[in-house]
Amino acid sequence: MTVTRCPKAQGINVTDGVFVGAQRAVPLLWNTIANMQQQYTEHQLTREEREALQALQNKRTGLAIFQLSWIMVFVSLVVANLQLRYNAASWPPPGVAALNATVPTVMTVGLIISSVFAGRAARAIKENRGAAFLSQWRMMLLLGIIFVAVMAYEWVTVPVTGQYSDLFRVMVGFHGIHALVIGAMAVIVERRGSAGRYHADHFWTVEATAKLWHFVTIAWLLFYLFLYWI
Amino acid sequence: MATITAPLDRPLEGKRPHINEYLRWSVDHKIIGVQYMVTALFFFIVGGALAMMIRAELLTPALDVAASGQQFNTIFSMHGTIMIFGWIIPMMAGFGNYFVPLQLGAKDMAFPWLNAFAFWLIPPAGMLLILSWFIGPIEAGWTAYPPLSTLFSGDGQTLAALSLHLLGISSILGAINFIVTIKNMRPPGMGYFQMPLFTWTILATALIIVLATPFLAGALTLLILDRIGGTKFFDAANGGDVLLWQNVFWFYSHPAVYIMVLPGMGILSEVLAVHSRKSIFGYKLVALSSLGIALIGFTVWAHHMFTSLTPELRIPFMITSMIIAVPTGIKVFSWLATIWMGKIRFTAAMLFGLGFLSMFVIGGISGVMLATLPFDIHVHDTYFVVSHLHFVLFGGAVFAIYAGIYHWFPKVTGRMLDERLGRLHFFITYVSFFLTFFPMNFAGMLGMPRRVAVYDPKFQTLNVIISIAGFVLGVSTFILFYNMFDSLRHGKKASANPWRALTLEWATSSPPPSTNFIEDPVPMSDPYGYGTTEAEAYLYGQEQQFGPLKPAHFEAALLAAASDDSDPLPEGAGD
Repeated sequence: MTVTRCPKAQGINVTDGVFVGAQRAVPLLWNTIANMQQQYTEHQLTREEREALQALQNKRTGLAIFQLSWIMVFVSLVVANLQLRYNAASWPPPGVAALNATVPTVMTVGLIISSVFAGRAARAIKENRGAAFLSQWRMMLLLGIIFVAVMAYEWVTVPVTGQYSDLFRVMVGFHGIHALVIGAMAVIVERRGSAGRYHADHFWTVEATAKLWHFVTIAWLLFYLFLYWI
Repeated sequence: MATITAPLDRPLEGKRPHINEYLRWSVDHKIIGVQYMVTALFFFIVGGALAMMIRAELLTPALDVAASGQQFNTIFSMHGTIMIFGWIIPMMAGFGNYFVPLQLGAKDMAFPWLNAFAFWLIPPAGMLLILSWFIGPIEAGWTAYPPLSTLFSGDGQTLAALSLHLLGISSILGAINFIVTIKNMRPPGMGYFQMPLFTWTILATALIIVLATPFLAGALTLLILDRIGGTKFFDAANGGDVLLWQNVFWFYSHPAVYIMVLPGMGILSEVLAVHSRKSIFGYKLVALSSLGIALIGFTVWAHHMFTSLTPELRIPFMITSMIIAVPTGIKVFSWLATIWMGKIRFTAAMLFGLGFLSMFVIGGISGVMLATLPFDIHVHDTYFVVSHLHFVLFGGAVFAIYAGIYHWFPKVTGRMLDERLGRLHFFITYVSFFLTFFPMNFAGMLGMPRRVAVYDPKFQTLNVIISIAGFVLGVSTFILFYNMFDSLRHGKKASANPWRALTLEWATSSPPPSTNFIEDPVPMSDPYGYGTTEAEAYLYGQEQQFGPLKPAHFEAALLAAASDDSDPLPEGAGD
């Protein structure tokens, strides 16, 4: 790395010397530090390691943007719910019983706990604690399966009453499809985890599945709020 | 201060991938970019043929070409849907795919596999869209308003909805890829405000896509359920609401017009700066105005529904619709100030750039007129709206695409396009475009409704003018197609940087090698610093190393276009 010389620095008198010296010293010092840093980082990481780090960073950003994007579909269904409700004389419509919130509330708490388990399991595998990862991941799966099963029962048994139940079934069904697909991913992660495929250097699938499971939880909280309380 | 970019790769110069590479799965962003663009050009021809059918029908006030009014409905519905979802959006995605990694000095997009997957959703979706013609007519226009789309259209509407679902998912996946690439893969030394403006607009577009397109997915899900699932969300007789569709659909589709036009604005910033050898005027504001348009674009959707909206909400939406003219105005004035006192070279790319500038301003002004509530109610659902839409989408987006093709064709193929044919293409397109769409303003204000096959005979003169100009416009497209096919084989060989531009896509050979750059390139501190010593040194260095950028066998016009070092810049024009 070369130091650029300021053309004005030629033919100066002695009184300017201090300033010129400072002008030249600062870039020199700066370049030296930059060189040292560069050597240091290049020494620390090989090209492959840097590329792997970049790839992981890309995947994390990509997944975050996907979550931000796809939650909007759930928001659009909430908008549909609000608009149809705004048109109706009363909500639920006259003669239609309001949905009972007791069982779904218990299920919601269960889903939140399962999401906590998913997060803890992902952290465990990054720290190479394989046994802790497996047990927490299985707890998450168990709670998740109970949630899907109970909500499926609610979906099947809701009395058919026009818009009110149609909206319920579209929203819960749409959420259920996501829970099923991401749940299936979680089952695959469990199978591979039992075979010891994940460790501190190979954890992205676990992290991604856990983050998607958080997505299922947040999307559900949104629906839960609007279906049962607001 | 970084001035030197990576050395060009001499031996690989001019080596195009084999044609078979384009016909199969490939994760190279350059191949995918071309796949997008060629697919889009195919849909452009299909949509254009449908437009010709519309104009043929409207030559006379009676029903003659179409077998029935229903068939006419199908023709214009297919025209709109194909042009928007099959032509403009994929074409812009194609430009983005090819040039964003190059402009960032990256080897590829962040997720090459996902990129290929996003593209390969488009051909099946396009097939579904075209098949819908045969299994039952779509009669609801591209906006697919219920109850037209639920009670009257045939099974084709379901198929088209599925097709749009696929296209929406493709767009979202592509947009995620763009955002991650731009956020994480900029080279050292390139902050957000050193990025080329085309990349900026692709970033803004991608942000709109990830936030708005899911609403289309939601709306289409409800529409498909209403059509085949037995629900009644859009059936007013059963407690449903047709306005529900309008709200959710326009919450996507109004931002979608910016999805279509923003990348065009980015192309324009590149083309105007390069071909007038001037730095972009107010770079930061232009960059930020893209984000401004993206943001304000989310607050204006209900201006499409002035006649159906609750009256109290009309004025707020009128105000937001007018506010969005501000960031657009910033761009227009920046473009004018950029070419002001520049050394303008009238290459075909520049001509289409200037064409965009003039026609888009007309479209923008008729847009402000439409945002004005009393006027909008007067011309609601008339040809005035058709004119406005085509001035911004053809005069804006398509002219920008043409400018982009003339500007970047040498980079993609390693051959120059024929400039004389390019200028001929421009003049015919420009004049016939104006004569096609400007008289529609008069027809609209006199009260001719849109989407009709049979109209009052007093409008016939106007319609004959429009139709004849429209046919010329249709034919003029084939000048471009001929030019592209001919230049692929017989065009003059393009050097790495025939326009002497400073952005990184011109710092590698034409066409670029499969890894894009041989070494990691270092960007200029100002991508538009034409006339600065830094730029002069860089362009001089490029010539010293690899021979003249403007080969001796260039035409005179191109030689003039490529040279800027002989005479000094006018006073005050430099940076």
